[in-house]
Amino acid sequence: MKGETNMRLAHFLLAGVATTGLVAAVAPASADPIGKGLVMYMQMGGNPGDGATLARQTGAKEAAEALGVDLKSQFSAWAPETMINQFKEAVAAKPNCIEIMGHPGSTAFHDLVKQAVDQGIVVTSGNSPLTDLQNEFGPKGFGYAGVDLYAGGVLTAKAMLAQGLKSGDQAMVYGVFSQAERGQSEKGLADTLEKAGLKVDRLEITQEANSDMSLAVPVLAAYIQAHPNLKAIGTQHGGATGEMQQVLEKAGKKPGDIVVGGIDLAPSTIDGLKSGAVSATLDQLLYMQGFFPVVQCVMSAKYKMPGLSLNTGAGVVTPKTIDALTKLIDAGIR
Amino acid sequence: MARLAADPRRPPDGCKSRRWINAGCRFPCGIFSGKSQCGSSCAGLTGFRGGNAVTPAGDFASIVRLEGVQKYFGAVHALRDIDLSIGRNEIVGLIGDNGAGKSTLIKVMTGVLEPSSGKIFVREREIQPGEYSVRMAHDLSIETVYQDKSLAEKQPLWRNFFVGRQITNRFGFIDIKREKEIAQKILIDVIGFRGVGITVDSTVANLSGGERQGIAIGRAMHYNADLIVLDEPTAALGVAEVRKVVEFVRRIKQSGRACIYIEHNLAHVHEVADRLVVLDRGRVVSEIFPKDMTVPELTEYLIALQHDA
Amino acid sequence: MAQRSGVSILQRFEALPIIIVFVLLLLLFMYRAPEVFLAPYIYTTFLSTLPPLILLAAGLTFVIGAGEIDLSFPSIIAFSGFVFAVLFKEYDLGWLAVVAGLASGILVGFLNGLIIAKVGIPSFMTTLGTQFFWAGMATVLSGGKSYALRGAEESSVWRWIVGRPFAGSTDIVWLQQLSIQALWTAIIVGFLWLILTRHRFGEHALFIGDSNDVSRVVGIDVDREKIKVFTLMGFLAACAAIILTLENKNFFGNQGQGYLLTAIASVLIGGTSIFGGRATILGTVFGCFIIGMVEAGLVASGLTGAWVRTVQGLIFLVSIIFYLYADEPQRRRALFANLRSLGKFGAIRTSEEGGVRR
Repeated sequence: MKGETNMRLAHFLLAGVATTGLVAAVAPASADPIGKGLVMYMQMGGNPGDGATLARQTGAKEAAEALGVDLKSQFSAWAPETMINQFKEAVAAKPNCIEIMGHPGSTAFHDLVKQAVDQGIVVTSGNSPLTDLQNEFGPKGFGYAGVDLYAGGVLTAKAMLAQGLKSGDQAMVYGVFSQAERGQSEKGLADTLEKAGLKVDRLEITQEANSDMSLAVPVLAAYIQAHPNLKAIGTQHGGATGEMQQVLEKAGKKPGDIVVGGIDLAPSTIDGLKSGAVSATLDQLLYMQGFFPVVQCVMSAKYKMPGLSLNTGAGVVTPKTIDALTKLIDAGIR
Repeated sequence: MARLAADPRRPPDGCKSRRWINAGCRFPCGIFSGKSQCGSSCAGLTGFRGGNAVTPAGDFASIVRLEGVQKYFGAVHALRDIDLSIGRNEIVGLIGDNGAGKSTLIKVMTGVLEPSSGKIFVREREIQPGEYSVRMAHDLSIETVYQDKSLAEKQPLWRNFFVGRQITNRFGFIDIKREKEIAQKILIDVIGFRGVGITVDSTVANLSGGERQGIAIGRAMHYNADLIVLDEPTAALGVAEVRKVVEFVRRIKQSGRACIYIEHNLAHVHEVADRLVVLDRGRVVSEIFPKDMTVPELTEYLIALQHDA
Repeated sequence: MAQRSGVSILQRFEALPIIIVFVLLLLLFMYRAPEVFLAPYIYTTFLSTLPPLILLAAGLTFVIGAGEIDLSFPSIIAFSGFVFAVLFKEYDLGWLAVVAGLASGILVGFLNGLIIAKVGIPSFMTTLGTQFFWAGMATVLSGGKSYALRGAEESSVWRWIVGRPFAGSTDIVWLQQLSIQALWTAIIVGFLWLILTRHRFGEHALFIGDSNDVSRVVGIDVDREKIKVFTLMGFLAACAAIILTLENKNFFGNQGQGYLLTAIASVLIGGTSIFGGRATILGTVFGCFIIGMVEAGLVASGLTGAWVRTVQGLIFLVSIIFYLYADEPQRRRALFANLRSLGKFGAIRTSEEGGVRR
């Protein structure tokens, strides 16, 4: 039984390959895209289609199509050990480039990245920085496309403060403080709020909630109900931001009762912004975080350019500015 | 089914003969020193204190005797004041209605359950309640054949024959080759299966009810039990197979052994039993000799028992 | 009259179906992504990443074979991993840290067994509870932090447990990458196979899984053997934790979570029955190979990430259904009878039924 399924799958795939080849042969002859022939493995982060992953997938896919790169996407549900294992598997496949994320930390990755770079693979990073590795392997193409995490948190906090928070107000920050580099964004948020005089309670996101944010909804709702004077909630987790509207509803709060600051533009975050439940969200341009590493790959693999840093944390989206972006967000681009 | 019991002086198959000396090996040291230091399926001799190694430790009238045994399951008084003895060459039929406590009684007698209070004697030697176990019962030559839980369904026959008393080396690794050989012999000689596609590697699930019962009984026979307990062995058997079981019970008596036979079908048990013990609501209410009562009278008596609240 | 199938070819060669599936999948991936699967590097990578999964699944084989389940082993990976990492890094205890890590796993497993056997709470509920408890303990004690074991490769612990024995002594690249935990895992799993098939303890575990009642009446101390099984699982989970932590040179606060379903799935597709009483270590090992290989193979073949889950689910379902029919002769016969009657014309089938009814 299994053998038959395999055979059918094999036949299907064979047919697919043949069709693609035919189409390519029939297509009008034009100059080959510059990335043709390059193979790249890319870490997408969460699960396929997630709030914080979808736009990245789209950006990477479109860049790969435009440049002719053979892109292989890996999904790790944000689990650091899985990211390490997937990196090892990628190295074994001997591609031209690999893109990783900073969640496991520079120490965990260092020897593996060195091995890969020594073999001539271009390694670059996105979403969460690996500063030490960037410094060491930058000349070999190690770049970064993502937010300056701490600064991003600061930016978000500032946008929240602009909504009318005062010194002495109670605030809660929900984040992955335990991860060394990745936790910097929550830290920036929390520190900035504290500097403005708010009392900040730090709550850690569990691994389960990290991969499936719906699990956090009752936890957050309960927290809000237990703290009736809560004035602000900040997070730098894309999935958590998307759940905030639901959380406020469940806790019996109206939009605007609590100033909510978040990150990314998941479809549910759009609703949150439109209804006013979410007051400000840092747009980390996930599309660029997917698009740029592919470009980096081609530039370094083909033209031997060094790694470049692209800070994608350029601005904050508020209820006032959301309408213009809705269509793009639904298309998985913003 | 084949003949029972070989010469008691010969060690059962699988027993390393240097650990076996005549009939003395039938009384494992466990009863006396409080710890079974002997190997399974063949008793050793270390710590043997009462009587010397060659002759059995004295004469005894009953093979198993229960004195004042009570068993509580929580608040439920399952066995009350049980005084019962089984003679060495006696077939005792244990009868009574459902829920009377027959299964509980034999479980206490064979080491599966511990009595709440009371004494148990095997061959007139008292057994400390905390120590009695199925393994010890096996060492004491007491075997049980259950209605439907004698054999593990998904396991092969050869494992079912030896489980609980495997032939192992010092580290506990089973001598599979030897076990399969002996199992094969039991299958052919003792039970009498003749080339019908069942081998020692077949799982029990492939056998019919009668065949399974045959296996369970064959296992009890192989281990040369002095007391064989049968718990409703004819339930779910066809007519011919029931005959075989009854024949087997007769032969237990003929070979000088004892048997406890739990049976719902009064006609069967009336035919072979020397003595009938009636159990009602956890208590032994009467002992009847089959020659004193016919089957219809017996039936009436049991029904009347139920009506006496 | 029961079908006289004797011993079918399935029973004669342990784990034959899953081995065939593995070979077919391997050939498929070799065909679809030859640059990856015809080169040795992906295999040396698997040798370094699969050992924890294989150790866990081997322990689970005993647990599931005994008719129980253990859901707490991911948290043992976190807890024992933490104990080992903190003693290794902060207190520089070297091999003592290894011993402590193993002891912590044995302790957790033993407690699991105690609660399940003596208190009598079903294993599903018990281990669900202890899973949360020990994972929480790991987080509380570690403060949620990760521990980087910088410089670990200098120590003898690292070199003996996860080292690369051929690193300095050969020019062949893939040989240099061979990691030694594959050898240790092979030895441990080989030993476990011997225990399951040839030792008293293995037989007891299977009988318990077959029926607790039968086991009691044939003289097996069911409680004691259950405790042993869970303690063994705790030990193996601790081994997996130490190998994982050393290989990554990092303790991640939440390590282990990803192994829960993959380990159980590996055991079940390998042919061990979830109902207990039938277990195969060899099948489990190949189940691990398949589960570990599928994602890398599909990604290398160009299928997008979403397909991975779908294919894993498909493999799982097909295997389970296959084993169900292989296991129960009556169902198999009924299925074939139905298929045969479907093949004939409808009219003949009706007349047959009519005949029977008369």
